[in-house]
Amino acid sequence: MKKRIGVFVCHCGINIAGTVDVDKAAKKLAEHQDVEHSVDYVYMCSDPGQNMIKEAIKEKKLDSIVVSCCSPTLHESTFRKAAKEAGINEFQCEIANIREQCSWVHKDKEKATEKAEKITKSAVERVAKNESLEPIGFPVTSRALVIGGGIAGIQAALDIADSGYEVILVEREPSIGGHMIQLSETFPTLDCSQCILTPKMVEVSKHPNIKLMTYSEVQEISGYVGNFNVKILKKPTYVDPDACTLCDDCTEACPVVVPNEFDLGLTGRKAIYIPFPQAIPATFTLDIKNCPGLLPIACGKCADVCEPDAIDYDMEPEVVEEKVGAIVVATGFEQYDKEKMKEYGYGKYPDVLNGLQFERLLSASGPTQGKVLRPSDHKEPKEVVFIQCVGSRDPELHCSYCSKICCMYTAKHAMLYKHHVPDGQAYIFYIDIRSGGKNYEEFVQRTTEEDGVVYLRGKVSKIFEENNKITVWGVDTLTGKEIEINADMVVLAMALTPSKNSQELAKKLKLSTDKDGFLAEAHPKLRPVESITSGMFLAGAAQAPKDIPEVVAQASGAAAKAISILSQEQLFHSPMVAEVNETLCTGCGMCIDVCPYEALSLEQGKAEVNRVLCEGCGTCSATCLRAAVKVKNITPGQIFEMIDASVGG
Amino acid sequence: MVEMEQLQKEAKEILKQGKVKFVIGYSKGSQNLTATPVFIKKPEHTSRLIWDPTCVQNLVKFIVDDKQKQSREKKPDERPVGIVVKGCDSRAINVLIQEKFIDRDDVYILGLSCEELGVVDEKKIAQKLEGKKIEKIEFAKKNNLIVSTKDGEKKIPVKDVLADRCLECKAHFPVIYDQLFGEETEREVKEPYKSIKKTESQSPKKRWDFWKEQLEKCIRCYACRSICPMCYCDECVADSINMAVTAETTAEEKAQKIKWIERSPALSENIGYHLIRAIHLAGRCIDCGECERACPVDIPLRLLNKKLEKAAHELFDYDVGFDHKKPSLISSFKDEDPEDFIR
Repeated sequence: MKKRIGVFVCHCGINIAGTVDVDKAAKKLAEHQDVEHSVDYVYMCSDPGQNMIKEAIKEKKLDSIVVSCCSPTLHESTFRKAAKEAGINEFQCEIANIREQCSWVHKDKEKATEKAEKITKSAVERVAKNESLEPIGFPVTSRALVIGGGIAGIQAALDIADSGYEVILVEREPSIGGHMIQLSETFPTLDCSQCILTPKMVEVSKHPNIKLMTYSEVQEISGYVGNFNVKILKKPTYVDPDACTLCDDCTEACPVVVPNEFDLGLTGRKAIYIPFPQAIPATFTLDIKNCPGLLPIACGKCADVCEPDAIDYDMEPEVVEEKVGAIVVATGFEQYDKEKMKEYGYGKYPDVLNGLQFERLLSASGPTQGKVLRPSDHKEPKEVVFIQCVGSRDPELHCSYCSKICCMYTAKHAMLYKHHVPDGQAYIFYIDIRSGGKNYEEFVQRTTEEDGVVYLRGKVSKIFEENNKITVWGVDTLTGKEIEINADMVVLAMALTPSKNSQELAKKLKLSTDKDGFLAEAHPKLRPVESITSGMFLAGAAQAPKDIPEVVAQASGAAAKAISILSQEQLFHSPMVAEVNETLCTGCGMCIDVCPYEALSLEQGKAEVNRVLCEGCGTCSATCLRAAVKVKNITPGQIFEMIDASVGG
Repeated sequence: MVEMEQLQKEAKEILKQGKVKFVIGYSKGSQNLTATPVFIKKPEHTSRLIWDPTCVQNLVKFIVDDKQKQSREKKPDERPVGIVVKGCDSRAINVLIQEKFIDRDDVYILGLSCEELGVVDEKKIAQKLEGKKIEKIEFAKKNNLIVSTKDGEKKIPVKDVLADRCLECKAHFPVIYDQLFGEETEREVKEPYKSIKKTESQSPKKRWDFWKEQLEKCIRCYACRSICPMCYCDECVADSINMAVTAETTAEEKAQKIKWIERSPALSENIGYHLIRAIHLAGRCIDCGECERACPVDIPLRLLNKKLEKAAHELFDYDVGFDHKKPSLISSFKDEDPEDFIR
């Protein structure tokens, strides 16, 4: 049946009209046999523009329209809505992109006009064979999963839970708190990090809507936005948290001492331990890797002394299955691999520390109760060299990106060091100081003006130990002088990298990562908390290095996005999905192998499409040797006509 | 050495037991040189089976035909088909199983080892005989051919007239079989992609000119497609006539059947046909060389497929038809797959 197609060519001010003769293009399209109406207008997306389309649909009895304008990612939904309001099926509206794909990339007006005509004609050919479709509705599970229990995950979980939705918060470590709980004070206000975080942690543990799963990992995810199925592996802690009275007898009995992760190896802990006093959940964990005698019980000392019998060596790993509607990924960061930083003597000299270790030294709950002491001889360091950009901004050897928070925390470190050791001297080697943020620049100024920290603009060439001191060779590029400092301690501001195993998790969640391994957002400006997988949102340093206020803001953003899904009774999916012709399908299963969305499966020897998972990419259709799969409204027949129109047929 | 008697005995046995509906093998060629495919249904006819370097055909095509025939029958004989295969042909079976065109149980495979030889190339023999007509051909000991022409007998070592593909063979030994005949011999192939070395070294322009000249010759008889065991699609992109029609196919759809390529044997259409066919065989072609052998106008089609075989090997570490349990190349994806060719 012949269609009655309307073509609407947009000028986009001079964005299109500057390079494309829109009048000529509209007239040319009017010659097409199926085109009943063809006009151009200065801004089609404006209200008068949309009204023009609606009126034309009614007056000329159009049954489908093509709007030649910008990319469909921008205004497709605008025009489809307009079409719907005028009484035609929204999938009878197609966009011809003559801006990004034509006017913006060409200069020759005549040729650009010709190309715009071809692009529009190809859309006309497509719409001529479009079916009328209805969006596919499906229900939503009103619960959320938050992966990662650092400040980002905590904030997101609290925000979602406060809105009345159930949240499952999964944390890999025995306690929530992430890196923030390890920090001493936070810039630029010098609030005690633990003091501001622990109330939130307690709130998580007490919140009726939050199901906290620590010492757990996401094992498998299937499903789609609104309806994810998650398998969570709960690792055994061998301690019953309800029975445990936190008496601490077990740690005294335990004979095994291993480096304490919480203090980054500056102190030791036992094989049965509580990560830190304010840990949530407040319970002990038996570290199976280091415990000498679980099977067969060779030691058993902890169980012997445990009065309430809270220790259970027979505890098994457990896989918990949960259904959720939205997921917030907040897997955080870790410091750059120390193996790659041997050039700075890290790992070789005990008094060369990384930023987080220094943070522990400064912390009132740290290994030295807040006194700055050298790990080697417990003496107060009188000269400390701080080095920024260790691994960051080094595209040849390490990470090309800026780790963003190091300028600020190094300034904080130097300032706090001076507060602890007023007669000491702090030096900071830097490339340049990045202190954008509320009250940040003032903070940096204070370190030099009030605390007398010496900033040296340049890089360090060599670090070595000599006479119980750490000699640092560097250069001050502002004076051009070579510098030698015999320091007592060196603190490295290590680059931040995505946390370990986050790549694996990203694969499980089908999230894309950027070149550095950070989780990729859907759009760097307009969709910064969304991932490309709908229903999954990003928060915190897993997406890029950022400081606490930014993390909290992003976490609340991600929570809001998640809530916008959870609050729907029904979600809608584009009906432009694959469709299997069962008579032709032989069940070879190749489409199933190639489908990037796992939308296809074999049911009774025939391929079957899960219409909600299908994104209509067409890979199945291209793979099928028997032409048994087609994507609606972008069928081989339509593609053929579109190619034909594009090459001038 | 492959004992012909043993092969015949086994064929006889499986036919007698009714294990297979028939055995596809080779019998003596009626004229000239090449063996003739034979379908043996009765145990007493198994003495017709032969095995020597004239058994050039890839008989797997007949499995494809039988499978397609079966799908149209109301009560098909579902017993397996017995088939005699060389190493190369056995890989074709693997591909068909991989693509779920056939099941492993659909075939009873009598695998033959080529040992140190392979199959002969008729054209190479013709060259040796300088155009003289063959009257009689025999295999003598030590792998020599005794060819009689009107000028008398001539002794030709088989190695001198082996097909090019046999010189580049990756599997002279069946990779899948139910019964094996002959030895699993070692063979070193120094240059597995020797035949494309020349074209690869040429400039793009020269190569283009070469292929234009070759494809200009094509008369679109589709012999290459008909003989190929991998060309089993119901609907072929190259052909606007054979459209897969079902009860649901509307008249409009039939009328709107897309013509991706015109049927006229014009250069542009020929290029389209052959390049599409080559791409559709990427990661599927096992280099049996049948397309080239069947081509009546001598287009060196093997070169196109060989180039893609090399690409699959180098880019994706994929060699076709060695393991039917692995996913096929076009349906598998690895994170390490190179993507620098996508620009």
